[in-house]
Amino acid sequence: MTPVLEARNLGRRYGGRQALTDCNLSIPQGRVIGLVGPNGAGKSTLLNLACGLITPSTGTIEVLGSRPAANPAHLAKVGFVAQDTPVYAELSVADHLKMGAKLNPAWDARLAQRRIEQIGLDPRQKAGRLSGGRRAQLALTLAAAKRPELLIFDEPAAALDPLARRGFLENLMEFVTDLAAGAILSSHALDDVERVCDYLIVLAESRVQLAGDVRDLLANHRRLTGSREALSKLPSGLDIIRADQTGHEGTVIVRTDGRRLDEGPWTAENLELDELVLAYMTRASAVGSVPAATAQEAHR
Amino acid sequence: MIWMTWRQFRTQALVGVGALLLLAVYLVILGLQIRHSYDDLHAQCAGGGCAGVLSSLTDDYGFRVDLIGYLLIAVPGLIGIFWGAPLITRELEAGTHRVVWNQSVTRGRWLAVKLGVLGLASMAVAGLYSLLLTWAASRVDLVAANRFSPLVFDARNIAPVGYAAFAFVLGTTLGLFVRRTVPAMALTLVVFAVLQVVVPDMIRTNYAEPVRANVPVTADIVRSMTKIGRYGDIGGLTVPGGPWVVSTSALLDSSGKEVGHTTWYQNCAKQSLDDMPVCLAKGHIHVQVTEQPADRYWKFQWIETALFTALAAALAALCFWRIRGRLT
Repeated sequence: MTPVLEARNLGRRYGGRQALTDCNLSIPQGRVIGLVGPNGAGKSTLLNLACGLITPSTGTIEVLGSRPAANPAHLAKVGFVAQDTPVYAELSVADHLKMGAKLNPAWDARLAQRRIEQIGLDPRQKAGRLSGGRRAQLALTLAAAKRPELLIFDEPAAALDPLARRGFLENLMEFVTDLAAGAILSSHALDDVERVCDYLIVLAESRVQLAGDVRDLLANHRRLTGSREALSKLPSGLDIIRADQTGHEGTVIVRTDGRRLDEGPWTAENLELDELVLAYMTRASAVGSVPAATAQEAHR
Repeated sequence: MIWMTWRQFRTQALVGVGALLLLAVYLVILGLQIRHSYDDLHAQCAGGGCAGVLSSLTDDYGFRVDLIGYLLIAVPGLIGIFWGAPLITRELEAGTHRVVWNQSVTRGRWLAVKLGVLGLASMAVAGLYSLLLTWAASRVDLVAANRFSPLVFDARNIAPVGYAAFAFVLGTTLGLFVRRTVPAMALTLVVFAVLQVVVPDMIRTNYAEPVRANVPVTADIVRSMTKIGRYGDIGGLTVPGGPWVVSTSALLDSSGKEVGHTTWYQNCAKQSLDDMPVCLAKGHIHVQVTEQPADRYWKFQWIETALFTALAAALAALCFWRIRGRLT
């Protein structure tokens, strides 16, 4: 089965700034993929590359087995909701649906109509007058009613208040289930993603820090607590993601890579997803901050 | 895609059509008036000496016709600024390019339809305007015999169609590269204005090799000149038949020598404005001109139109290249 998204050495520069570096991914089908990372980590860049709005500076990316936005047939397979959910301010809700119908051969008018009614949008209303939440719902409907195989959302909930955010995410998942489509969803807030995703990509400092099925990721990491001596007996070559010292006590977060670490002079615990993600992001910013600062100095 | 293009372009199109309708009404009325006056004047001079009588037609209508002509020269610029420049920048600024480029229509096709529909609309507007003005002003142009003068050449027949195609694509292209509406509009204005000065002044004369000719100086010709210098240098020569005079010599005698320093010339020059032309005409003098003969008019119109259309096509190709490659 072809992967939903496959990237090899993918990189993208904007002028002098490297927005995405050496990205290697192969995501199997049938997942709801969460893409998390701090602002400016390269999430939008990766998603814009995935839907073909921009082209790679280095490497290659394939979505559903071909170059993004290669032809109309491929465009029809991918639905994209861009950051800030742009819509045509001067066009009415009905005009948006008509646009969808005119520009997409597989347009599902009944689905679109039903959704618009459910959300309670007035078809005659100008899209520019809609609240943020309703605008996002309209953008979502537009992307979903073309019946894509993959839905891509770039920070769709970023501008929404908590209530609208919850409603939006619920709607989004309903669509994904209805369409039996895959989905990629980016957010700087892990809890948005955590609730709905079963595959996670952590992006920080323009690099992929972590990618995999959520279950595997959790099974593959441990938090080990023990005395300093005890922790120094950890097997060599072990990938330590994060280490904290408080007095004699130390805590490390490690990737087990299949090793059995539960037995030892330490206490091994399972991690919560947010702790794991935070550990990777912290590591990335510690590594990444040095060259970044130098680059900025050089810029001045 | 055509529906979408029309839906977004509707307001601008209606404004354009409205303006065109107003102008059409005015030009039809003006054209009929001019025709009426022309026929009246013709009746007056049935016995001969029509040239002097008919010249009052340019006095009566020249100003109005010129004014409408200036406006027609500006129309392609306006099209470039208000239809061309915002075409893509508006999408980029609102972020809606990310909506429309993710429908099941490739970016190339999107651009092709946009450029095609709006480009044809631009050419139609300029073409209709030009057709109306050419018809309305035809009698005045006939009398003035100045079809090659930049303001008349640029605002008659098919040349405006080429300008409109070019200005529209120019605006779009600049928008695509500058990516912000207002700077793109300003740049469109500047580039278009510069070209409208440079082309008539420096490029157009090179469409064909100018021809040398000797023009005998008659009293009428002397009267038409805008400048007669103290030593026989002249300016603003209008040659019967309406060729485009590219350059002229000073006044020459039959053997080709300049007459400016002869006592005969100085004597003539001292006479009153009414007598001087007659005095000069008696001397059998002539000027040597390089000119584009009047029968090259249509050739020049076609070349001009083709040149601007080709520029438009080249810019459009640049747009396609750019929109497929790097953007946002």
